[in-house]
Amino acid sequence: MKKTGKYVNLAFALLVITVFQLTCALTLLSQAEAEYRMNIAITFGIYILAEYIYFIGARLILKRKGFEVELIAFLLTSVGLSITASVYPSLCIKQLIAVLIGVAGFIVLQWILRDLKLCMALRIPAAIAAIGLLALTLLLAKVTNGAKNWLYIGGISIQPSEIVKVIFIFVGAATLEKLQSNKSLTKFIIFSLACVGCLFLMYDFGTALIFFFTFLLIAFMRSGDFRTILLLSAGALMGAILILTFKPYVAKRFTAYRHVWEYFDTTGYQQTRVMIYSASGGLFGVGLGNGKLRDVFAATEDLIFGVVSEEFGWIVAAIILLSYVALLVYSIHHSRYARSSFYAIAACASAALMLFQASLNVFGVNDLLPLTGVTLPFVSRGGSSVIGCWMLLAFIKAVDRSTYRYGGVRQ
Amino acid sequence: MKTISRRALILYLLIAAFLAGIVILYFNLISNANSWAMNKVNAHLYSNGALSTAGDILDRDGTVLATSKDGKRVYCGDTTMRKAVLHTVGDDAGYISSGVQTSFKDELTGYTLLDGVYNLKRYGKGNSLSLTIDADLCKTAYEALGSYHGLVGVMNYKTGAIVALVSTPSYDVINKPNDIDTDTSGKYEGIYMNRFFTGLYTPGSTFKIVTAASAIENISDIYTRTFTCNGKIQIGNGYVICNGVHGEQSFEKALNNSCNCAFAEIAKELGGDKLTQTANEMGFNKKIENIDGKIKCSKSKLDLSNAEELDIGWAGIGQYTTVINPCQMLMTVCGIANGGKAMKPYLIKEIKSPKGRTISTTVPSEYGQILNYETATKLSALLRSNVENEYGDWRFSGLEMCGKTGTAEVSDNEGARPNALFVGYSTNESYPYAIIVVVEDSTYSIKTAVPIATKVMAALKNQ
Repeated sequence: MKKTGKYVNLAFALLVITVFQLTCALTLLSQAEAEYRMNIAITFGIYILAEYIYFIGARLILKRKGFEVELIAFLLTSVGLSITASVYPSLCIKQLIAVLIGVAGFIVLQWILRDLKLCMALRIPAAIAAIGLLALTLLLAKVTNGAKNWLYIGGISIQPSEIVKVIFIFVGAATLEKLQSNKSLTKFIIFSLACVGCLFLMYDFGTALIFFFTFLLIAFMRSGDFRTILLLSAGALMGAILILTFKPYVAKRFTAYRHVWEYFDTTGYQQTRVMIYSASGGLFGVGLGNGKLRDVFAATEDLIFGVVSEEFGWIVAAIILLSYVALLVYSIHHSRYARSSFYAIAACASAALMLFQASLNVFGVNDLLPLTGVTLPFVSRGGSSVIGCWMLLAFIKAVDRSTYRYGGVRQ
Repeated sequence: MKTISRRALILYLLIAAFLAGIVILYFNLISNANSWAMNKVNAHLYSNGALSTAGDILDRDGTVLATSKDGKRVYCGDTTMRKAVLHTVGDDAGYISSGVQTSFKDELTGYTLLDGVYNLKRYGKGNSLSLTIDADLCKTAYEALGSYHGLVGVMNYKTGAIVALVSTPSYDVINKPNDIDTDTSGKYEGIYMNRFFTGLYTPGSTFKIVTAASAIENISDIYTRTFTCNGKIQIGNGYVICNGVHGEQSFEKALNNSCNCAFAEIAKELGGDKLTQTANEMGFNKKIENIDGKIKCSKSKLDLSNAEELDIGWAGIGQYTTVINPCQMLMTVCGIANGGKAMKPYLIKEIKSPKGRTISTTVPSEYGQILNYETATKLSALLRSNVENEYGDWRFSGLEMCGKTGTAEVSDNEGARPNALFVGYSTNESYPYAIIVVVEDSTYSIKTAVPIATKVMAALKNQ
């Protein structure tokens, strides 16, 4: 049983992030053209309001005390929202709507997760939905930026793989309560193969890698079998080598890796620009709206870490990186007291997925890893991505026993 | 849950790898930030590859040589002055790599690890750099050089401050000739290079200063010797040819006459080791530190390791394979003028923040004792005698000038023209300045290099 003093002082933390968000909003308003001021005011007004409704509701109605996880998510989301509003003021309301859907998804999924029986009942339909969604994407999607991973439905575009991430963890962690069952692991392996296979066919290798990583992690946490994991990894590595050998154009995407300055204006363009403009930012940044990296293609998505480094400075950038570590440490810590292995595995897998994805993104644009073109969780612009991240957060929230203590848990 | 939480511990490995990645990321960033930020595609500083927003560059009297206005680099209004200071100030595209504008980009942009390029945003300009040069004096030197390729450098020998620096050919930075990169006539030869810092020249008779210094230190009866010149001297199975027939002469007179026979004989007597030792003490074969920590200088070289006696004879009069770097040679001459103590050359007087706060001021510092005081004094007297008895004090009135000319043969080809050199300094306490003049494709130095020195030193005195 924890002492109250160990919880983050909600009021104080909320005040700090509100000040940060208001500062961003005022900066944006002072820089924006007249026609967009209303957009920005509405976006930040509603966002901050939603934040307060959530915290006050959770504190007074659900009588919750721990809010570390949501504070981190609200802070990271507002950094992304500020950059979106600054670079694309016309799109900020759209982004806000996605964020609100994400927060709603976070709340609904938490509600579902309180009921373990319901979760177990949902796992097969969820798995079918996941495969169906990916298959549909394969059928209907057109190639955008080299990957076939976008669906266009009635004027809005979604990236189904971001939502499938949530289902993947849900299915993976919920397949069987009992540990060390090879039969259930086989089913999960088949499901994983189907997902990763679809992603490969979409040429979305970054996401495929994230799925594979998550699969390994879940498989290990369920079976504890190092040898199987090593075998699977070795198999995957050989598969990757085969692909690189027989599909040279895939390998070509990685030619600039560790040589970006030699491919300064071609395949190393984005990475070198990220480095140049991150360096221009310094510890405290050049200020929101004053950056130049924003003019480079995909600045608010793949390269957003560079934009943060340039405009908000290296300290804020480091805080963002450490946020993912905090989420994972939180999950590991609470998995010890989790009500069932489902919650422990789901939380650890979610937080690890985000940390892994953040690594691919941040180290990719800085040329420490090959560039894979994945988003930075919570921060990158993009509706599907932000919705997916907020829903993953529900798993992390659900591992903490105190989450459901006051709301009542249905066993 | 014990099993699961134990298995979850493997995630700490993932966290450790991630934290290690962050450390590498930030280490790379901090150690490379400066060079990354100064990249030519950085739109904070450059537009279309040309420096656009940076601080002011001022001469020692505050004349603005370069500034930024409305996102463009603006240079001083006087065309001749722009050409005269081109190699010192540099251009905005970075062709002139030793120019202050390129070498001191980070200072000029006010880049710091703390604030990045934020100062440029806040003030519209970076730090301002005050140079030690006098732009008017540079203009005089530029005009004096006329159409010759070459250089003029003037240094305060008490401090090491470079007060004039001109390298030709030059061009107008705001009106760069179109044919500069395509011309084959040679009229733009080495136009992007600052000859003062990176040039290497055969010293000719100016090297006799080094030979003389070595003689003073190593031959005890040098002042009572007499040297006979018949127009040439046989060493080994070859000859060193003199510029005249000087007959019998003392050591001092031999230097006045710049007699090749006498100095080849002295060099032969000293031998390669002693001559090299003195030259090394005076700064040869040793790279001088980058000027103000940034601008690279070439190295003067004397290598007698495989020299025959005849070669040593030629080396003693500044031929053979010996080369000097003008900046280093001027520093050596300054050392002689300053009682043997040479000062480090510098070009940046002061750096100020956009708000006018002084960030750094250069404090003159010693390069080292290149000659002992006694040798320096004796050598100085000989160089004074050169001007009094040979070149004429009338050329440098009121300056009590010391000096040595040199006419260096740079090619064995028929009709090839020599480089003319002059190094000298004023012993008048009010004008503690030393000068080097190099005129390429010239005639005798007394006809080209010395008159240029006369004009520049007169301008310095009449300020």
